[in-house]
Amino acid sequence: MKQLRACSFMLASLALLGAAPVAKKIQTMLAKPKVLCGRFDQSKQLVGLKKPLSSNGRFCVVADKGVLWRTLQPFPNSLKLTRDEIIQLRGEQVALRLDAKQEPTVRMINSVLFALLAGDLEQLEKLFDIDGTAQDNDWSVTLKARDPGLAKAIGSIALDGGVYVKNIVISEASGDRTQIVFSVIQTGDGAMTADEAALF
Amino acid sequence: MNRRTLLAWLWASVVCLLIAHSAFLWFDERLTPDSDILALLPVEERDPVLQQAFAHMVDAAQQRLIVLVGAEDWDQASRAADIYRAVLAAHNSLLQPDDQIAKQAPQDWLALFRQHRLALLTPGAEAALRSQAKPYWIDIALAKLYSPFGGIKPGAWQDDPFGLFADWIQTRARETPVRPRDGWLFVGDGRRQYVVLPFKLRLPAFSMAAQEAVVPLLEQARQAAYKSVPQVEVVAAGVILYAAAAGAQAKWEVSTIGFGSLLGIVVLIWLTFHSFKPIVLIMLSVGVGCLGALSVCWLLFERIHLLTLVFGASLIGGAQDYGTYFLCNRLSADGQSLDSWQLLRRLLPALLLALVTTVLGYLALALTPFPGLRQMAVFSALGMIFAWLTVAFWFPELVRAGTLKSARLAQWCAASLERWPSLRLQRSMWWVAALFVAFAVFGWSRLGVRDDIRLLQNPPKRLIDEQIKLSRLLDAPAPAQFFLVRGANSETVLQREEALKQRLDPLIEKQIIGGYQAMSNWVPSLRTQVARRALIEQTFLNEDGALAALAARIGADDQWVMATRERWLAAGSELAPDDFLKTSASEPVRHLWLGPVDGGYASIVSLRGLDSTSLPFLQRAGGGLDGVQWVDKVGEISSVLGRYRKYMGWVVLLSYFGVYGMLYPRYRSAAWRVLAPTALASVATLALLGLSGQSLQLFHVLALMLLLGVGVDYGIFFQEHPSRRDPVAWLAVGLSALSTLLSFGLLSLSKTPALQAFGLTMLIGTVAVWFLAPCFSHDQEQRFVQGPP
Repeated sequence: MKQLRACSFMLASLALLGAAPVAKKIQTMLAKPKVLCGRFDQSKQLVGLKKPLSSNGRFCVVADKGVLWRTLQPFPNSLKLTRDEIIQLRGEQVALRLDAKQEPTVRMINSVLFALLAGDLEQLEKLFDIDGTAQDNDWSVTLKARDPGLAKAIGSIALDGGVYVKNIVISEASGDRTQIVFSVIQTGDGAMTADEAALF
Repeated sequence: MNRRTLLAWLWASVVCLLIAHSAFLWFDERLTPDSDILALLPVEERDPVLQQAFAHMVDAAQQRLIVLVGAEDWDQASRAADIYRAVLAAHNSLLQPDDQIAKQAPQDWLALFRQHRLALLTPGAEAALRSQAKPYWIDIALAKLYSPFGGIKPGAWQDDPFGLFADWIQTRARETPVRPRDGWLFVGDGRRQYVVLPFKLRLPAFSMAAQEAVVPLLEQARQAAYKSVPQVEVVAAGVILYAAAAGAQAKWEVSTIGFGSLLGIVVLIWLTFHSFKPIVLIMLSVGVGCLGALSVCWLLFERIHLLTLVFGASLIGGAQDYGTYFLCNRLSADGQSLDSWQLLRRLLPALLLALVTTVLGYLALALTPFPGLRQMAVFSALGMIFAWLTVAFWFPELVRAGTLKSARLAQWCAASLERWPSLRLQRSMWWVAALFVAFAVFGWSRLGVRDDIRLLQNPPKRLIDEQIKLSRLLDAPAPAQFFLVRGANSETVLQREEALKQRLDPLIEKQIIGGYQAMSNWVPSLRTQVARRALIEQTFLNEDGALAALAARIGADDQWVMATRERWLAAGSELAPDDFLKTSASEPVRHLWLGPVDGGYASIVSLRGLDSTSLPFLQRAGGGLDGVQWVDKVGEISSVLGRYRKYMGWVVLLSYFGVYGMLYPRYRSAAWRVLAPTALASVATLALLGLSGQSLQLFHVLALMLLLGVGVDYGIFFQEHPSRRDPVAWLAVGLSALSTLLSFGLLSLSKTPALQAFGLTMLIGTVAVWFLAPCFSHDQEQRFVQGPP
């Protein structure tokens, strides 16, 4: 097909930032609030670097709406994912805007990220093989993309938690490793701050 | 056996050969007419590379069929697409799905570019490298590093910390709106979501067999898709659909025109002679004419275009002129004691003159650079010659004195001639002349011109609408407008492409064009690759470059900097077009690279998002650049049509002098009387076309050329029988004109605008010549030199 070119590979690779299995059981353990906000601490270990790179910020997951991810330290940077687009703000500036009408992978990325943060394993099972354990109030899973190309691009994702997701670890094929820890989780109408609400 | 019978038998053996050859063509199934509309277009003789470039673009499209299956909901669209494809799946040998790329893992074809990523920069990134300082780049790298979503990431972060390669890939991806989605190819317009189903045709698009199989199959698949998802929209486009529509139309026209004119002539002759024998005789001459034309044409061209047959169907009207003329003379000579061979001898000079002038008219059509037109002209001229020879060799043997009876029509015809007005120098004639001049001037002043490629083909509106919709959705590059870039070697070609692209970038910014596709988008020239590597080394890799500064910010040691630097430099080797062409990633651009051609290398830069307003800008953009040529095939064909309209206009005018020269030795001072009816008829035809709001085009002029050939016949017949009491000419001309009207008149029903214009001109012109010719006949003493006894 000459005129047509398949080029969303890079978008597909973004979508592959997360995973989890034993879906049904875990599903019953999770609280599913309409709005969920909290603090995250991210630690990135790059190949060849001795010290991990740390950053932190706040995140919000709003059912039927999307995800807001605000890095506050060391650089302010916001990412908003809704059903129809992905917008990245570097400071005040729009650094990237992807429209689902043109890039169908935007919807896939958004649903995966949403599912990861909300712990929606049933949703994740569509794309990932899920393997893990669930006992009492704790669970942990590893996700591996079913599509080999995708698996190669993302590597594997590990999730654990209880009522909410507590940790996400992404191990990329290149050897880079990203760990994200969630804390100070709030739910309900008061969870979002005014400026966060304004961004949505 | 005397010499005459020998000739008749010789001719019979020639006719047997023709029958045998035609039967062979028929039973061997070689006789599948060609329906490729491009065969009608002029060959680019002056520039073989340009011709090759165009053929390259055409070949890339010809065997392709693209179907879009759309619905508001993606699941519905893919369900309908599943059903659509299932219907076609049983016919894999005819249509083969061509969407492996939807399933291909992107990493496979990214590998090559990753190895050469240092030289792969977007123009924007290159400009930023020249203008932005270190902190700008460090900010970008850190933002990418700390964000969970660092934008596009074609590999490990340290291989592309500043996002240059990711930018480049994203820009390449934007060359098409088509995306893989759930194993399909997808395109959306915000309202509907479409599954893109590309197919490769396994049979030639212009073969009748392929057309007859594919068109119903697609309809069946369309219906199946509608049945399962009623709100689905199916849009299909492909050369084969146009070819099939043109083929079906031409077939209908061949049979209508051919059968219609045949029937008309049979009725006419019956009314004139009240006997079947003349009908059989006329059919015989026409039949031999058609067989001869087909057979010899096949030997000359090795193919027959469908439009040749459409045009050739009108031959039936012309080819019977000679037979009719002979029969009418036979009828009137029955009072005298002439045998048929003596009669032929007496008629021969006039018959020969009539043949030569008609054939010359056809051969003037062969002077055009349109191969299709040339074939039509040769076909018609051959048909005339064969019909003429049949009359000359056979008719005297077959029609003896007293064979024919005159019917009432012939008598009525004779009576009408005596009352027909005649041209005399008197006052009322001046008034008529003045009125005619006023009419002609007014008509001509209203005559516009039109030289549009659409004259040659008139596809159904639904096909055009679907094609437009599909091109818009897929943002496909224009197939007939592009830049041709040439150089002594591939490096020069790539450098020249880059120079051209610098001129095109502002046009994209101003939204005059949507974008361009070029080899150098994927493989920059070596000069550019070297310059970019130097730029990157200078900005990033120097001791105090951005990479070292970045390392300090993230706490990486010198070893990390060294290792990263090494990996970067390893990705800086030269990328050559041939490396790229070997990968499957090059498939979408392969048709743009012509590679080695006569006198060097050549490539195509194709353009997206064009409309007619962008053309002048593009022409200007390509101006003054070495080795860069703007090609506008549509414009070129229109200009060829226009050029030949003028050129043929002069040929027609000069032909009048040529024909006058041929007539003069026989008719002397009366030669103008032979020519004048046709000349006046042509003037009147143009004036009428002007009054009826038609625009003058090449095919009107070509018809005037043919009208000259046909009309002069009538003039000759009348000048041979100038007496008002001798109805032979009037009868023969009446019969000829009516049958010409039947054939060309039916041609004016053709849906192809060119043939329609041709038919209409012949229709008006023939009526005019028919009615004017007797006015100019002069029955005083004989004014021409008697032919040999």
